[in-house]
Amino acid sequence: MSIEIEAWVKLAAFAGAGFSMGLGAIGAAVGEGYAAAKANAAISEKPDSSGDIVKMMLVGQAIAETAAIFALVIAVLLLFAGGGAVSIITASALMGAGLSMGLGAIGSGVGAGLPAGQACAGLARQPELSRNFTTTMLIGAAVSQTPAIFAMVIAFMLMFINFAGGSLHMVAALFGAGLCMGFGAIGSGVGSGFPAGEACAGLARQPAMGGQLTTNMLIGAAVSQTPAIFAMVVAFMLMFMNFSNLPLHPASAALLGAGLATGLAAIGSGVGSGLAAGAGCEGWARNPLTTGNVLVIMLVGQAVSQTPSIFGLLISFVLMFKSYPATEVFLASTAVLSAGLCMGLGGIGSGVGNGMTAQSAVSWVARNVEQEGVLMRTMLVGQAVSQSTAIYAMVIALALIFLV
Amino acid sequence: MAIEGAELIKAAAFLGAGLAMGLGAIGPGVGEGMVGAKACEAIGKNPEEAGLLTRTMLVGQAVSESTGIYSLVVALLLLFVV
Amino acid sequence: MEDLGKIHQLIVNLSGYEMTFNLDILVLSWIVIIGLLVFGYFASRNRQLVPGAVQTIGETFVFQFYSLTEDALGERLARKYGPLIIALFMFLLMCNWLGVFPHLGEPTSDLNTTLAMGIMGFVIAHYVGIREKGIKAYLKGYCEPIFFMIPLNIIGELSKVISISFRLFGNIMGGDIIVLVVTYLTFSLVLPPFLTAFFFLFIGAIQAFVFTMLTLVYIAVQVH
Repeated sequence: MSIEIEAWVKLAAFAGAGFSMGLGAIGAAVGEGYAAAKANAAISEKPDSSGDIVKMMLVGQAIAETAAIFALVIAVLLLFAGGGAVSIITASALMGAGLSMGLGAIGSGVGAGLPAGQACAGLARQPELSRNFTTTMLIGAAVSQTPAIFAMVIAFMLMFINFAGGSLHMVAALFGAGLCMGFGAIGSGVGSGFPAGEACAGLARQPAMGGQLTTNMLIGAAVSQTPAIFAMVVAFMLMFMNFSNLPLHPASAALLGAGLATGLAAIGSGVGSGLAAGAGCEGWARNPLTTGNVLVIMLVGQAVSQTPSIFGLLISFVLMFKSYPATEVFLASTAVLSAGLCMGLGGIGSGVGNGMTAQSAVSWVARNVEQEGVLMRTMLVGQAVSQSTAIYAMVIALALIFLV
Repeated sequence: MAIEGAELIKAAAFLGAGLAMGLGAIGPGVGEGMVGAKACEAIGKNPEEAGLLTRTMLVGQAVSESTGIYSLVVALLLLFVV
Repeated sequence: MEDLGKIHQLIVNLSGYEMTFNLDILVLSWIVIIGLLVFGYFASRNRQLVPGAVQTIGETFVFQFYSLTEDALGERLARKYGPLIIALFMFLLMCNWLGVFPHLGEPTSDLNTTLAMGIMGFVIAHYVGIREKGIKAYLKGYCEPIFFMIPLNIIGELSKVISISFRLFGNIMGGDIIVLVVTYLTFSLVLPPFLTAFFFLFIGAIQAFVFTMLTLVYIAVQVH
C-alpha cells in the first residue's frame, strides 16, 4: 500500500491538529481546576465576599485559558489552512507545529492557574485589595503565558514558512524543532507560575510590598524562562541552518536527538528554577527586611538549577555540529538518537531536584538570615551532588556519540 | 538499508543504554534534591548542628545516588559489553 | 560559527604513542598561573596592619576559604590543606573569568584541565583518607554495607571524578557556546555583553566555588 505525498501532508496536518488541541487542553484544564478549587475554599472561608471571589476566579480562568485558545487557533489553522507545498518536508513541519503548540500549552496553562488560585485565596483574607490582586494576577498570568507564546511563534513559522525546497534532512530537523520547543516550554510555563502564585499569596500577607513583589516575580519568572529560550534557540537553529552537506543517515537522527536533548532537559530546569523563584517571592513577603539576601540566594539557586538544561544544550550542539561519516548502517542513527534521548530524560530529575533544594534554602534564608552563608554553602553542595546523575547521562550521551 | 539480526541487537542495546541512563537519572535527581532541601530546612531551624547535618545530607545523597550508579553501570555494560 | 572546534595542537610522537598537546589551553593556563603569581607577590609585599586594596582582596580569599576548610576538616588538617583549597579556588576563578578578555578563552572549557583538577582532588582525598584513618579502616570503607558491594563502591568513587570535572567543563563550554550562538543570531546587538557577564562572571564564580567546595567535601568524607 503506497500512500501519496499529498495524503501524507493531509495526514500530518490532521494529526498535528489533534495533538495541538488534545495536549494543549491538559494544562489549561488543570490550571482552571486549581483556580476553581482555591475559589471554593476561599468562599467557604469568607462567604460575604463570594461575589468578588467568583469574579476573580472567572477572570483568572479566562487568562489561564489563553494557552488552550492558542492551541485551538493552531489546530483550526492546521485543519483548514494546512497544506502549502506538497512535500514530505511540509508534512513533517505541520506535525511539528501541532506538537510544538500542544506540548507548549501544557505548562503555561498550569502556570497561569496558580496566580488565579492564589489571588482567590488571598481575596478571602484581604477583601479590600481586590484591585491589587487583579493587577498582580494579570501580570503573573501574562508572564506565565510567555513560553506558550514562544511555542506558538515556532508553530506559526513551521506552518507558514516554505521549507519544501530544502534537503531531506529538514524532515527530521523540523519535527525535532517542534518537539524541542514544545517540551522546552512545559517546564518554564509551570515554573513561571510558581513566583506568580506566590506573589499573589504574598500580597495578602504584606499588602505594602505589592510593587516590590511584582518586581521580584518578574525577575524570578524571567530567569525561569531561560530553559524555554534555550529550546527556542535550538528550534531556530534546526529550522534555519543548512544541514544539506551532512550525510542523510546518521545526521537526520542526530537532528531529532538534538531537539529532544534540549527540549526534555529544559523541563526539569524550568520547573526547578520556578520553585526557587516562588520561594523567593514568599520570602520577600514574609520578611521585607531581607529582600537583598533572598534575591541573591534565589538567583544563585536558579542559575545552578539550570545546569541540566545547559548540559542538554551542549549535547544538542555537539549533535548538530559534529561531522558524521556517511553510513547506511542503522546502528549509527540509533546511537545518536538515543544520545539525545538519554541527555534529555536524564536532565529532568536533576533540574527538579536542584530546584527543590534551592526552594528550601531560599525560604530558610528569609526566616533565618544570620545563617545565609551556611545555607548557601549547603545548597550549593546539595545541588552539585544531585546533579551527578545528569552528568552521568551526559557522559553516556557523549559515549554514544563519540565512542560507539 | 537492510537490517541484520546482530545489528538490530546492537541498536537495541544502544537505545536501551540511553533509556536506562536517561530514565534512571530522574529518580535520584529528584530524591537527592529532596535530601538537600530537608538539609537546608534543618540547618535553618538548628544552625548549631550544620556540620553534622551536612555530613548526614552527603551520606543520604550518596545512598540515594546508588540507583543512578546502577543505571550508569547497566548503560556502560549495554554500550561496551553486550 | 566557524570558530567551533578549531584548536592549535602540538602532536609529539613518543616511541609509537602520540601525545597531543592543546597549545591554546597550555598558554591560557600559564597566563592564569603567572597572573596569580604576580597577584600573590603584590598582595604579600610590604604587608600592613591597615591593608591596601590588593592586600585586602588577597586577605578576603585566604580568610574566607581558610575558615571554610577549618569548618570541614578541623584545625590541624586545615593548616595543611587550607592553602591547597584557597589556591584551587583562585586558579579556577581566574580560569573561568579569563574568557571575558578578547582573544582569550577559558582553560576550563577544555575537559583536560577540569579532569586534571578532578583527578588531583580525588588522589589527594584518598591520600588524606589513608593517612588519617590507616589503610585498614580505609579499605573497610569499601565493604559497606556488605562486602559484595565493593565493585559498586569503587565505581561510585570513580564517578565522583567524572561528575566533578564534567560539571565544570559542561557549564563553561555550554556558556561559551550560548554566547557564541546568540552573538551570531543577533548580529552582536545588545544581548552579548549581558550574556557574557552572566555566563562568564556569574556562572564562572559559582562553578569555581562549587568545584572547590566539592573537592573539600570529598576530602572531608574520606577523613571522617
